[in-house]
Amino acid sequence: MKRQADDLGYGLMLVLVWLTVLFLVAPIIVAGAMSLDSRTYLGPFPPPDLSLQWYERFFTDRYFLRGLQTSLVLAVIAASISTVVGVLTAFVIDRYEFKGKEAMTTFFLSPLVVPAVVVGFALLMFFSLTGVYDGFWRLLGGHVIITVPYTIRTTIASLVGISPSLTEAALSLGAKERATFWEITFPLARTGIIAGAIFAFAFSMDDVAVSLFLTDPKNYTLPVALISSMRANFDLTIAAAALFLVAFTVVLILVLDRLVGLDRMIGQGIYRS
Amino acid sequence: MALRPVVAGQDAECLYWLSDRCVPVCAIGRTIPMKLTRGGMMLLIPAVAVFAALLVGPIAIVFNESFKVFVPGRIGSATDAPYTLANYTELLAPAYGGYFFGTFQLGLFAAVIALVVGFPIAYFVARMPAGWLRNLSVGFLICMMFLSGLVRVYSLELTFGSVGALRPVVRFFEISPLSRDYIEWLVVLGLLHFIVPMATLTLVGTIQNVNPRLAEAAQALGAPRWKAHLSVTVPLCIRGLLSAFLITYTLSISAFVVPMVLGKGKVVFVSNLIFSRFSEVANYPSGAAISVIMLVVSLLVIYVISRFAVQRW
Repeated sequence: MKRQADDLGYGLMLVLVWLTVLFLVAPIIVAGAMSLDSRTYLGPFPPPDLSLQWYERFFTDRYFLRGLQTSLVLAVIAASISTVVGVLTAFVIDRYEFKGKEAMTTFFLSPLVVPAVVVGFALLMFFSLTGVYDGFWRLLGGHVIITVPYTIRTTIASLVGISPSLTEAALSLGAKERATFWEITFPLARTGIIAGAIFAFAFSMDDVAVSLFLTDPKNYTLPVALISSMRANFDLTIAAAALFLVAFTVVLILVLDRLVGLDRMIGQGIYRS
Repeated sequence: MALRPVVAGQDAECLYWLSDRCVPVCAIGRTIPMKLTRGGMMLLIPAVAVFAALLVGPIAIVFNESFKVFVPGRIGSATDAPYTLANYTELLAPAYGGYFFGTFQLGLFAAVIALVVGFPIAYFVARMPAGWLRNLSVGFLICMMFLSGLVRVYSLELTFGSVGALRPVVRFFEISPLSRDYIEWLVVLGLLHFIVPMATLTLVGTIQNVNPRLAEAAQALGAPRWKAHLSVTVPLCIRGLLSAFLITYTLSISAFVVPMVLGKGKVVFVSNLIFSRFSEVANYPSGAAISVIMLVVSLLVIYVISRFAVQRW
């Protein structure tokens, strides 16, 4: 009796797990199939014949390509700035003891909980008031503030794991503070720093809520371009763009795995088999 | 940082000096709390500058703006515009309460379902032996977490939407894909696509810290498997579950793209309301007032949940 109930419960769990996986994957497969549709209009699923016309359209569309270019440049610059600021801040938080340290850490991580639309709206008002009208600078400001918490958090996590004896050993053997940082702390924290930079890059590439407020007709990101055309007409060029972004994400994850190791992303449990 | 060499005899017990502080020999390998030096403070300058200019300043401006009289046709009110509470009192209308209630309710649905669905997946992943299958599962979850929000909403619309692949199924059950109920569920599905991988990854780490022998012991003593997990494994993961809930709930209530595309104007989250104040009616003082309320309510929800968690467990 108990055996049967156990098997039934286990079976139900497995069904739930596979249904969820199906729910996560199936839409992407549908979009992938539709992006290869040979019809020139949005017809019912599945496509009767395959062609690459929508990819060709995406990669020759000036509007999308300009957005992609802005997105890439913006993500690289924003992630670099966030990484430098994040590493410096995390180093101080990890290393020194001072009053209000907890409060300061909470404050530096707060953009994670402030709704992105509020950040976008606030930045729009701020830039209008201070006379920053160039879309690129406005976007850069927005992307730095939403990505910095990620770099701070991942760097703190990797610094905490470094045994203080190592730093102390270097200092007691006569190394200067700067040398200790570059020779000991930085190499040991490198994977965390890289993970933070990749996170920052990915979130900058993906942002809509902040960017939508800060674009101008010349400077707009790919997601903003896509969402504007999504609202105008539900064209299959967007399916091609979506599949391109899926491929881009997979490449990014492979890089992350290579440089950092995916298992580090979920933390090491004690009872891992 | 001044590092003075140890003078023999004089500072016998000091291993080395850090900023005029003696570090005793017995402190080797222990965390030495260091006072914030001037050099350390210099390192904070970039972060303080970034946060002052791009977070504190702008939010202060929004706060100020939310009390200004609305003058149509300009970005922000005039600097000498009189102060008023009208932007807030106007939000007391039941329609606005509905937007807030709807946002927090659908967000709650999504967050709870994400935990219920994510927990078993996380359990299977956490107990998988190291190897390619485990790497593949973790890689899959991380990919799903990193996936662009636009890809999700577009794919979901192509699958479940009014022109989607599941249209025959939807029609078979005589559900209108444009009815409010269906669209509400579509929005919840959109949120789930985003937060299920996130909740699962958070929980994998938690479950790995729970000793599997405990649930086994419960089973050996006669508890059915589901009961063993419900009364042993789940309570031991309560902190992880709460932090996963906190993450997924905050993300859900501040969602923007999902309700914007999948909601089709029928399901409007507070985020979308703020955006429409900017894009459609250009009423900045009103947008500012909604932003302030949204910010306060979100922070309050997070504060209450985390306080509750600390007190209880």
